[in-house]
Amino acid sequence: MDFTFAPEHVALRRLVREFAENEVAPLAMEIDREGRVPFETLRKMAKIGLLGVCFPQKYGGMGAGETGYCILMEELGRVCTSTATNVGAHIGIGAMSVYLDGTEEQKQKYLMPLARGEKLAAFVLTEADAGSDAAAIRTCAVQDGNEWVLNGTKTFNTNGSFADIVTVMAVTDPTLGARGGMTAFIVEAGTPGFKVGTHENKMGIRGSSTAELIFEDVRVPHENVLGKVGEGFISFMKTLDVGRLTLGAACLGGAQAALEASVHWAKTRKQFGVALAHKQSVQWMIANMATEIEALRSLVYRVAWMVDTGQPFTQLAAMCKLYGSEVASRAIDVALQIHGGLGYTRDFPIERNFRDARISEIFEGTNEIQRIVIASNIFRQHGVRIRP
Amino acid sequence: MRIIVLVGRVLDPSGIVVNRRRGRIFINREEYLVNPADRCALEAALRIKDATGAEVVALPRGPLPDDDVLRQALAAGADRAVYLTGDGFKGADDAVMARVLAAAVERLGGADLVLAGATTLDTRQGQLGPRLAEALGWPQIVGAWQVEATDGKVQAVLQAPTPRVGGDRVLAPGRRWGKTPPPRVGGDRHQPWSPLPPPPPPRVGGDRGGGYATVETDLPAVVTVLPGALKPRYPDGARLINIYRAEDAVERWDVADLVEADALKPLLERRGQDFPPERERGVRVSGTPEEMAQAVADALRQQVRG
Amino acid sequence: MDASYLDLLMAQQEEVTEAAGGGGGIWVVADVVNGTVAPVTLEALGAARTLADALGAYVYGVLLGEDVTDGSTELTTSLAQTLYQAGADGVRVADHPSLAQFALEPYLKVLSDLVEAEQPEVVIFGATAQGQELAPRLAQRTGGGLIEHVTAASLDETTRTVQATFPIYGGEYFEIAACSEARPQFLTVEPGAFPAPFLDPYRKGEPTTLDVEPVEPAVRVLGPAEGFEPPPVPLAQASMIVAAGRQAGGGSAELAEAFEMVKQLAAALGGQVAGDRGARDAGWIGPGQIVDVRGVTVAPQVYVAVGIRGDTFHNAAIEGAKFIVAIHPDPDAPIFQVADLCLEADPQEVLPALLEALS
Repeated sequence: MDFTFAPEHVALRRLVREFAENEVAPLAMEIDREGRVPFETLRKMAKIGLLGVCFPQKYGGMGAGETGYCILMEELGRVCTSTATNVGAHIGIGAMSVYLDGTEEQKQKYLMPLARGEKLAAFVLTEADAGSDAAAIRTCAVQDGNEWVLNGTKTFNTNGSFADIVTVMAVTDPTLGARGGMTAFIVEAGTPGFKVGTHENKMGIRGSSTAELIFEDVRVPHENVLGKVGEGFISFMKTLDVGRLTLGAACLGGAQAALEASVHWAKTRKQFGVALAHKQSVQWMIANMATEIEALRSLVYRVAWMVDTGQPFTQLAAMCKLYGSEVASRAIDVALQIHGGLGYTRDFPIERNFRDARISEIFEGTNEIQRIVIASNIFRQHGVRIRP
Repeated sequence: MRIIVLVGRVLDPSGIVVNRRRGRIFINREEYLVNPADRCALEAALRIKDATGAEVVALPRGPLPDDDVLRQALAAGADRAVYLTGDGFKGADDAVMARVLAAAVERLGGADLVLAGATTLDTRQGQLGPRLAEALGWPQIVGAWQVEATDGKVQAVLQAPTPRVGGDRVLAPGRRWGKTPPPRVGGDRHQPWSPLPPPPPPRVGGDRGGGYATVETDLPAVVTVLPGALKPRYPDGARLINIYRAEDAVERWDVADLVEADALKPLLERRGQDFPPERERGVRVSGTPEEMAQAVADALRQQVRG
Repeated sequence: MDASYLDLLMAQQEEVTEAAGGGGGIWVVADVVNGTVAPVTLEALGAARTLADALGAYVYGVLLGEDVTDGSTELTTSLAQTLYQAGADGVRVADHPSLAQFALEPYLKVLSDLVEAEQPEVVIFGATAQGQELAPRLAQRTGGGLIEHVTAASLDETTRTVQATFPIYGGEYFEIAACSEARPQFLTVEPGAFPAPFLDPYRKGEPTTLDVEPVEPAVRVLGPAEGFEPPPVPLAQASMIVAAGRQAGGGSAELAEAFEMVKQLAAALGGQVAGDRGARDAGWIGPGQIVDVRGVTVAPQVYVAVGIRGDTFHNAAIEGAKFIVAIHPDPDAPIFQVADLCLEADPQEVLPALLEALS
C-alpha cells in the first residue's frame, strides 16, 4: 500500500494552498459580513483551471481526478467555507451531473465552459416539501412537441441565483414516483420563465448564495434532457454520492483550521502563569481533535482513490460526509472553547467558522439520511432490504 | 528572443527555530520555497514572453537535489527547463555556477537576456547575476523593479543609487559574540578629543529620496530583479498536472559536458555558524527624556540601516 | 592650561609614506555620497586596519570620481585625506569626468587594471548599490572569492584568510565563510556593522593619481521613471512599524498633536503607522491598522509601541517582531514584559527628544 500522494497532487496542493492563503483568506471575513459571493475569486480560480479540477482535460478540465478535487476542497475549506461551498456546488454537483450523465454533445456544449470556469453551474433539487424526502418533489415537466415545459418552485438552492447553467429535477410521471417518474433537465439562465426568488438570510456560509428558484412555463428543448427520461432520480443520486465525498474534504479543511488555531492560541495564551498548552484539559481537547482529523483524512483520501480507480464508493462517501461534518462541528466547538471570550467576538474568525460548520450536518443530505444510506448498504450486503 | 531565468530554492524560514543559547538550529518542518526574487524574475520573463512571444528557459541557480523547482518554473510558463547534475557539482558556489551557467548558455545556442533574482532569501548573496554577466561578457542591470525588452534593448526601472538598494533589514552585530571570540576587527579605539566632528551616523530609516529611474542597455544583457517587485502568477492547473506527470519534462545535463572538473571546485568554504545574543526583554532605560531618547535612537540605528 | 604647543608637535608628526609597491595589502574601494566619503567606507577602513595590522600588510584606499583629488579648505578635508585619516597607508585616486557618477564599465576598468598591477590580498567594498555591482564583477574577472553583506570579520593567520560572518534569513543566525586559496579575497561590508574608526586629523599623505582610460558605460539612464510606484507593502509584512496607543496623548487637547509626532517618528524611521484599539477609538487610525489578534498580526524587524498598554491580544499580535521598543508611563504595563527596550515615561516628553535625536 502506498499512502503517498502522486507528485502532481503534491504540486496541486502547493498551488491551491498558496491561492487560498493569498486570494481567498483575505476576503473571508468581508464576504461573510457583507453576505456577498466573491465572484472575483471565482474568476481568478477559473483562470488557472481550478473550477474544472476533476474533469478530464479533453473537456477543458484540469484532469486531477477526485483526489485533486478533494485537495482543492480541503484547502478552500481550511480558509473559507463560503468559497468552498460556491466552488463545491459548481464543480461537485452542478457540472458533475453533466459529466456523469450527459451525452457527448451535452458535454461539449455545457461541460466544457463549466470546466473552464467560463460559466457557473448549480444543481437544483430541493423544494419546500422535499428536503430529505427528495422523491416528494412536485416541480413538473410536461412534454410539448420537441420541448418540455417546467413548472414549480425550488428552495434552498446554492448558486442558482447566479449560475449560467442549472440542472433541474422535475416529475415527468407522477404515478411512477422516484422509479421512472423523474427526469433531469439542463436549463440555461435567461430562459423565459426561469426566475430567482427570495434570497435566504443564513446563519453561516453567508458568502454563498442560497435562494428560491421559480420555474413558470420554462420551455426546455428535448436535447437538454440529462440522462434518460424517467431516470433522473437515479442519476441525481449518483451525482450526490460524489459530492458527499468532497464535502467531507471541505470539513476536513475546516477541522484542520480549527486545530491549527487552537494549537496556536494554546501556546500563546497564558493564564495562571502558564500557557494553556500546559493544562491537561486543553491537551486532551487538542489530542482528540487531532486524532479525529487524522482518521477523517485517511477516510477522505482513501475514498478519493476508490473513485479515481473506479471502485464502488457510495457507502464510504456517505461515511465521509457523516464523519466529516461531525468532526468539523466538534473541532470548531472545542476551538471556540479554547479561545474563550476571544473566540466569541465577531472580530475573530472562530465564530464565523462555528456558524459555517453547522450547515455541513444538514445540507448535501442530512446526517440522518447518510446513516440510512450506510445502513442500507450494509444490510443489503447481507440480503436484507431495510425500510427506513 | 530567448530568455534564461535562473531559479533556486531556499529552506522555508518559518519551519526553522534557532536556539540562540545553545547555538543550534532546529528544522521543525523541512519545506522548500522557490527563492522569492527568482519567482519575480520568472514573472518578468513570462511578461516579456506574453508581449513578444520569447522563449523562456529555466536553469538552476545552484546545485539542486531534484528538479522540483524547475518543474514549478515550467508549470508557471517556461518553455524549457534544464536540470544540472554531475560528480563534484554538489558543493558549487556562485563563482563555479557563473562558469557552468555561461557554458550552459552557450550549449543552448546563446540567449538574449538572462533574468535572475537580485538576492537569495537565505544568504542574501546577490553575486550570481553580476558574476554570470562577467562570465558572458554582457552588460548588467542590478536590482530592477520592472523589466521590459523589445527591439534588441532591455529597459528597467531602478531605484536611484543610494547607500542601500531595497532588501531586508538586518540585525547589526558590530560586536562579537560566541563562545571564543576571534580577534575583533574594528577594535575598541580610544577616542581622544578631535577638532573635527565625528563622521555622521548612518541616517536611521534610510535615504530613499533617490527616486526611481528608467535605464536601458542593449541586448544581450543580464538583469537581476528585486524580490517583491512583481506579483508572480499562479501556474495553469492543467499544465501543472501534465508537467508533474511527465517524467522527462525537465532535461538533464551533466556538468562534465559543460566545464572541466577543476572548474567545479568552489572558492568559498564554510567555516561554521554564529548566533546572535539571546533576546533580553524588559531592559529598562532611565534618565532624562533626552538621555532616554538617545538610547532609543542608538538602539534603532543598530537595528535599521541608513 | 595652554596646551597649544602640542598642536605644533603633532602637526609635524604623521606624513604617511607608502612602502615601496610590492603587491598585497588590504584595499578598500571608497563610496562617495553627496560629496563626502560614505560612512560605510570609513567603517571598512577601520576593519581593514585591524586586519592589516594582524597580517603585517598595508591598507590602501581607492577613490574614483571627478574633482576628488584636491579641494582642501580650512573647514573640509579632501576626500583622499579623509581616507588617510581613517587609517589608509596609501590612496589611489582616479579622477576623470567619466567617473563622476557610478557606472559599471568605467569603474570596473580602473579597478581591474589596479588589481592586476597591485595584486591585493583583500579588496573591500561597501554593501551599497556600487558595491553590489562592482564586487561580483571584479571578483569574477580576477578569479577571486566574494562574500557579501559581511557583518564581522576575523583572521585565519596561518593561511592569511579572512573569515567573514554574514547574516542568514535577515539575522536569524550567521554563517562564517572564507576564501582559503583564491586571491584576491573580496568582501562587501554591511553599513553600520563595523564601528566607525577614529579619524586622526594629523594623519596625511600624498595620494597617487591613476591614469584613466575613458570607457563607455553600457547602461544608459533614460530619465526618472514617470509615475512608477513600488507595490505597497501591507501592514502585516511591514518591516518597521510605529504604533500609537491611548496613552500616546495626554489630555484630550494634546491628542491630535501627540499622534502627529507618532506619524513623524514613523516617517523618520521609514515605517508604517499602526495602533491599538484605543487609537482606533480616538480616530487616529483605520480599522485595517489595528495591531491585535482581532485585527492585523504583524512581524516587523522593529516595532515601536508609543503609549500602548499591551494587553494579551495586542502582545500576541506582535510575537513575530524582532525588536520591540515600548514607551508608556505606567511601570506595570504588560507591554514591558514583551518589549526589548522599555521606557517608563510619558510619550509626550520622550517623542520630541527622540525625533531630535534621530534627525
